[in-house]
Amino acid sequence: MLKEWGQPFRYRKVNHQEKNEDGTFKRKKPKAKIGTVKRIWRYLSYNKGLLAAVLLLVALSSGLGLYGPFLIGKGIDKFIVTGSYKGLWILLLELAGVYILYSASLWLQNIWMIGIAQKTVFQMRNELFRHLHQLPISFFDKRQHGELMSRVTNDIENVSSTLNDSVIQVFSSLITLIGTVAVMLALSPLLTVVTLVIVPLMFFGMKWITNRTGLLFKEQQRNLGELNGYIEEIVSGQRIVKTFSQEQKVINEFMEKSGRLKESAFWAQSYSGFIPKLMNVLNNLSFAIIAGIGGILALKGTISIGVIVIFVEYSRQFTRPLNDLSNQFNTLLSAIAGADRVFEILDEDEEMRDEKDSVCLAEVKGEVEFRNVSFSYEKKGDTVRGINFTVKPGETVALVGPTGAGKTTIINLLSRFYTVDSGAIFIDGHDLSTVKRESLRQHMGFVLQDSFLFQGTVRENIRYGRLDATDQEVEEAAMLANAHSFIQKLPDQYDTILGQDGGGISQGQKQLLSIARAILADPAILILDEATSSIDTITELKIQEALGRLMKGRTSFVIAHRLNTIQKADQILVLQDGKITEKGSHPELLKQKGFYYGLYYSQFHKDIS
Amino acid sequence: MSNVFSLLKPYRISIVIAIFFMFVELVVDLLQPLFMSKIIDNGILHKDLPVVMTWGGIMLAISFFAFIGGIINSFYASHVSQSFGYDIRKRLFIKIQSFSFANFNQYPTSSLITRMTNDITQIQSTVFMSLRIMLRAPLMVIGGTVMALIVNFKLAIFLAIIIPLLIAFLIWAMNRGTRQFQSVQKRLDSVNGVIRENLAGIRLIKAFLRKDFEVSRFKKANEDLKNQTVSVLRLMETTMPVLLLVMNLGIMGILWFGNVQVHSGETKVGEVVAIINYATRITTAFSPLSFIIRAFSRAKASAGRISDVLETDIDLFDQDDATSIKKVEGNVEFANVSFRYPGTDEPVLQNLSFTADAGQTVAIMGATGSGKSSLFQLIPRLYDVNEGAVFIDGRDIRTVKLDSLRKQIGYVPQEALLFTGTIRENIAWGKEGAAMEEIIKAAKNAQIHETICKLPDQYETIIGQKGVNLSGGQKQRISIARALVRNPKILLLDDSTSALDLKTEARLLACLKNYTCTTFIITQKISTAMEADNILLLEDGRLLTKGTHEELLKHSSLYKQIFQSQFGKGDARYA
Repeated sequence: MLKEWGQPFRYRKVNHQEKNEDGTFKRKKPKAKIGTVKRIWRYLSYNKGLLAAVLLLVALSSGLGLYGPFLIGKGIDKFIVTGSYKGLWILLLELAGVYILYSASLWLQNIWMIGIAQKTVFQMRNELFRHLHQLPISFFDKRQHGELMSRVTNDIENVSSTLNDSVIQVFSSLITLIGTVAVMLALSPLLTVVTLVIVPLMFFGMKWITNRTGLLFKEQQRNLGELNGYIEEIVSGQRIVKTFSQEQKVINEFMEKSGRLKESAFWAQSYSGFIPKLMNVLNNLSFAIIAGIGGILALKGTISIGVIVIFVEYSRQFTRPLNDLSNQFNTLLSAIAGADRVFEILDEDEEMRDEKDSVCLAEVKGEVEFRNVSFSYEKKGDTVRGINFTVKPGETVALVGPTGAGKTTIINLLSRFYTVDSGAIFIDGHDLSTVKRESLRQHMGFVLQDSFLFQGTVRENIRYGRLDATDQEVEEAAMLANAHSFIQKLPDQYDTILGQDGGGISQGQKQLLSIARAILADPAILILDEATSSIDTITELKIQEALGRLMKGRTSFVIAHRLNTIQKADQILVLQDGKITEKGSHPELLKQKGFYYGLYYSQFHKDIS
Repeated sequence: MSNVFSLLKPYRISIVIAIFFMFVELVVDLLQPLFMSKIIDNGILHKDLPVVMTWGGIMLAISFFAFIGGIINSFYASHVSQSFGYDIRKRLFIKIQSFSFANFNQYPTSSLITRMTNDITQIQSTVFMSLRIMLRAPLMVIGGTVMALIVNFKLAIFLAIIIPLLIAFLIWAMNRGTRQFQSVQKRLDSVNGVIRENLAGIRLIKAFLRKDFEVSRFKKANEDLKNQTVSVLRLMETTMPVLLLVMNLGIMGILWFGNVQVHSGETKVGEVVAIINYATRITTAFSPLSFIIRAFSRAKASAGRISDVLETDIDLFDQDDATSIKKVEGNVEFANVSFRYPGTDEPVLQNLSFTADAGQTVAIMGATGSGKSSLFQLIPRLYDVNEGAVFIDGRDIRTVKLDSLRKQIGYVPQEALLFTGTIRENIAWGKEGAAMEEIIKAAKNAQIHETICKLPDQYETIIGQKGVNLSGGQKQRISIARALVRNPKILLLDDSTSALDLKTEARLLACLKNYTCTTFIITQKISTAMEADNILLLEDGRLLTKGTHEELLKHSSLYKQIFQSQFGKGDARYA
């Protein structure tokens, strides 16, 4: 039990200094966060008109808030003390008017501010989301999904709560502050200066604290994001956790991350908790200074005692809004940390913008040429190099080779998920780098290696291929893909809702749906990346027919391991270690007796030999 | 919900300390006007500088004292709120780890994530705030009312009537707020859900140019969230002006009746002034209250969502008399097993019976959706059977402790799920504390060692979320190595070689023979099935037939069809 006394002092110190890559501390002081505040302001200023109205209302309510007590004081003096009734009615009416107006303006400013704040947050979220879609695929390869999710929810949530509370508070405090300083200056400039002596002290104190909290809050949000990422991964990968009975390991790792969050949040909160306390001490200090110096001045007869008394009152008036402001600082700081992380993503470079003079491909015949293409993901060691081949419109090209030889990479380059490092790709003679990405992908249909399905009905998932497809077209596509029969057996047929990540149906069925989706898209260039790997071979045979019909008249790229599915291809490219080593039709390649030959015979006749 | 806040118990000492120092601050705050009046009345008005200095000094000292108290309070309050949050997170996570898959279906992943981060943050900050400022407001309200009643009961009765009414109003608003905040959090779940899906399906979205579609989908979820938030916050913010208006009207009433009573000589002027003074103080004390109430309803809503998870019934757990299974031979028996996924009516497996002897290789074939993967999930008991039983070494697996059962099993799922981390870490997942040699051995057998060695950082290469920077086949082989490193007694390969080229696959299957384990392989390829001791052919959740390759070729027309689909008619001759 006694151990608990000391616990708050046993937290591991979290470093509030930013580290360089090599682990040394940055000498540079933390960047001023003014840039971040300015950017938040930019969002707020979309609603300038309403914001100005709120500002006016804040001024009005601040005034009314002071006028009410003044009237009451007057009432006491005039009526209670004298015991007279005359005119009390008028005063009460006036008072009622003031109070009603006061409450109404408070209400209105809050209602409007909430509207502004939530609209701002809404815009930030939308912008962030939109921006995410403009980022290159490589960005997503490096990030944890849950960590990104945390930015869109947790970090923006921080901004949201601050905007709701703090803006009005800051406004009204500033208004009071300015008013008070003005009155004080009018009364005695000398004492005002004395009062303001605490301002530099305050400044340094705040700076000391914010230098720490700024980074600590950022650290806290970062840790929260990391934790979010971990949870997302573990919950999605629950099947593995369970079958490997690694629950304890996962719990331990989680607790370590959770502990890190706890530590950074502890320090962030503790430090920011100092602010109001510091303000309080400074208040009292200023009061004592005014009393002391005022006393000396009064002794010398420089100022009257009345002025000192008023001044003492006003110095409290002066520090009260400062106090309120400092109380808001907490949330303000964590909001800035949150906003910072949001802006970090917004500042990520977009997928290289299409060149200004890039063209739209209105129609695509489907001629594809790779000319001396090299590319690497990590910029070290080429994934594919010196790729050369030409495909005539309507041809089917099969990519064959060991795993990791670069087959999917070629598809990624063709669809410009990634851009070639050197060489060029041409479609109908247009260099891809001069073609608008969107217009390129419009002509392509994909069945990707992992057949991703969205939460939604079967119908919606197929319709993803072409949003304006009619129900009948959806069903026809499903029939062609041989998905119709299993869909019929689902509880609500085409309206069956698939769980998250396409839960509820088997992997092979997912592939059938992806094929239906691609069929519906009706593209000029069709890409099938292991499209049938999880489908049993009898079903596959049936789809082959459909696919055969589908591929007719379209340029198709097929990656498959089962060679029988690609024997009919016009061209087979054999990839090994990122290079094309063999090229030709099935009979041609068999004659060459190279890699393909070996592969083919290992697959079909290994038991005979 | 009591459930959640009861987790505060271990921190009662810290809570008491925090509250104590909050009181210290409060007392100092209340004393300060007294000192100030001394300085003014005794010092400045009398031009007595030493008095000013003395009392000023005392005031500074005492406020410094309060400062120290405030800092200590800050430490303890952060400690309590952070540790409390940490504890809830831990509880939640442990609970979720014990979830069955049926339980997981109740909560979308995105919702679990929101609950574990955002909801906890809400509760945490409310606790922190409570320990720092919360008590002030209610104490001021109650103290003020009591004092007013003491001064003049008749006049103060106004306050005594109004205030309980206002408190009732606040409680009403709080309850409504809680419900609405719950739906705010739910909307947050769906925003989270859309983002999660988009991140996972980003390739597809880009490929199909569905950016605008997704953006508008997100916009809708986001808009719902915005509207719900606006509506609850507006409700909350309405309380404040109403409260002020009522209190201020009350003050007017006091003014009126005070005047009447002063006139009739019943009440002294000073008493009226004092009561009005108390009323204004109470009014000021109310103003942080609306903030507090908002925080409370939000925390209550979040706590409700958290306890929902904590109170979820786990439907798959160790029986009381379950015992560990130490050494497994690897005999697996399915006896009349029927199974349907929880919450569905359609059976996926019906009346399935077969045995696999230790060390055997069993291939499972069947059309897409025939129940192959479902069958696999029953062996590590990811789901319980509805009828019949699964036996391992003659023991019904429901009588075996879950973790001791699963320790014996190496499972390679269809989709190679990897985690962020290095390749070494991912393989070592299979066996905690696996030595580097063991990892390399597993990698070699899984035919991935050479590929790993070519990577820039070899085994220390970091793979991104879900292994995105590896090819499909590489992911599958790492996932196989992960299963092999634990030297399983039962190995389940769920079509896990589909992305491998045939040579690699053949080498891999040959290497599996180094392991003495019962192997189940779901496969589409006859060439793989041929090697098996036994082939199970499933159709629509029923075991159509079983036997060796040769037997099935003779008896089963379906198997013959599959064979022909892969080898063509001509090749069937060699069988």
